[in-house]
Amino acid sequence: MRRRELWYSVVVRDHDGEVISRERRKSHSFLKQWNQLVACQMVPWEGFGFPNIKATDGTYWPVGIGAHGYNFRMNGYANADDFGIVIGTGSTPVTVSDYALENQIRQGTGPGQMDHLVCTVAASVVSDPDCDFLISRSFANNSGGSITVRESGIYVWMERCVSPFTSYARACVVRDVFSTPQVVPDGGGITVNYTLRVTE
Amino acid sequence: MKADNEELNQQKDENSAVARDAPVSEELSESLAYEVVVTDKEGQVMQRENGISHSFTEAWNKLINCNARQGSNTIKDTSGTERSVGAASSHLRASAGIGDVSRGIRVGRGTTPVDISGYALEDPVDEGTGPGQLSHQEMQFSTPVVVGSECSFKLWRVMFNYTGALVTGIREIGCYVMMAPYYALAFRDVLASSFSVPDGGAITVTYEIKVSA
Repeated sequence: MRRRELWYSVVVRDHDGEVISRERRKSHSFLKQWNQLVACQMVPWEGFGFPNIKATDGTYWPVGIGAHGYNFRMNGYANADDFGIVIGTGSTPVTVSDYALENQIRQGTGPGQMDHLVCTVAASVVSDPDCDFLISRSFANNSGGSITVRESGIYVWMERCVSPFTSYARACVVRDVFSTPQVVPDGGGITVNYTLRVTE
Repeated sequence: MKADNEELNQQKDENSAVARDAPVSEELSESLAYEVVVTDKEGQVMQRENGISHSFTEAWNKLINCNARQGSNTIKDTSGTERSVGAASSHLRASAGIGDVSRGIRVGRGTTPVDISGYALEDPVDEGTGPGQLSHQEMQFSTPVVVGSECSFKLWRVMFNYTGALVTGIREIGCYVMMAPYYALAFRDVLASSFSVPDGGAITVTYEIKVSA
């Protein structure tokens, strides 16, 4: 049976780079917004008359295929906490209608914040019977205290169905709550990897 | 802070004793299902098959990857030619008008098992009213809806038989999508049984794409 699967792994290191915790499991977490974006591309959604997608700020966005191919974009910049893999401290179980992390850890070095490194998205690799690609991001805790991470997700870009086509919003397409809270010590870091796979 | 350190030490102990790399078996989170229905010229159902699709392809994953990383991938188009494609707004477009078989749902007579690197139907039925052909109608889509812990939408296509004779031997179904400016196979399935469409009748193929939390 060929399926689309999503796996994630989490690795926590201390300030010496030593691995102090690790978790790997199949994600529970494609959300409504993922399917809406797939539908948007397949139909495609152009012009008014289609459902809006709930953005990460809770507002509804008139999503469309736009003009740039930015739907699903997740290669987040360094120090950008608005797209790519994101992490948080929320522990509320995932529901398909979640539209954001429960309590996102923001970019920074203040209390409860972490530095966001670049979110890398590797090219797809075929290894019969799988085809998958890896999405990876590390976060550095320079806040001065430890931070307990309990959730992760992926925020992607959304284009518009109507002008102006140079305006974009973000959608949460994946969210997971870790089976074990991951404590990241000051000076340490956490790396979250997602593997998006088509398999038998 | 003290509480956090205690939690960290406890976690260290847990991880030293437990291998955490082992995969955890859980339900899949995105799935694809199909239904094939043949009706006669009166609209009466003559044949039906439902199944779980075997069929997301390499191209599907690579097209999402193009937009996800804003980069290019080499993907075979439906003619078997390798193409280098980058991010594009029209990737995955499956909409197709009447008679357009460059994209959208197709049927065919191939029986070769699905392979992740498949790039086209093995033996697609052509558009037309000649022997063995079908008249492809416009692609249809439903809007994604949430029911309980699931969100799903459907895409379907009706293909009429106006050939004047029985169209036989339909064994495969699939969906072609745009990989701008070319076309790619997004998913393909081989049916459990052979379908025949009577003259004046139709075959309707429906795919449902679902995510569940």
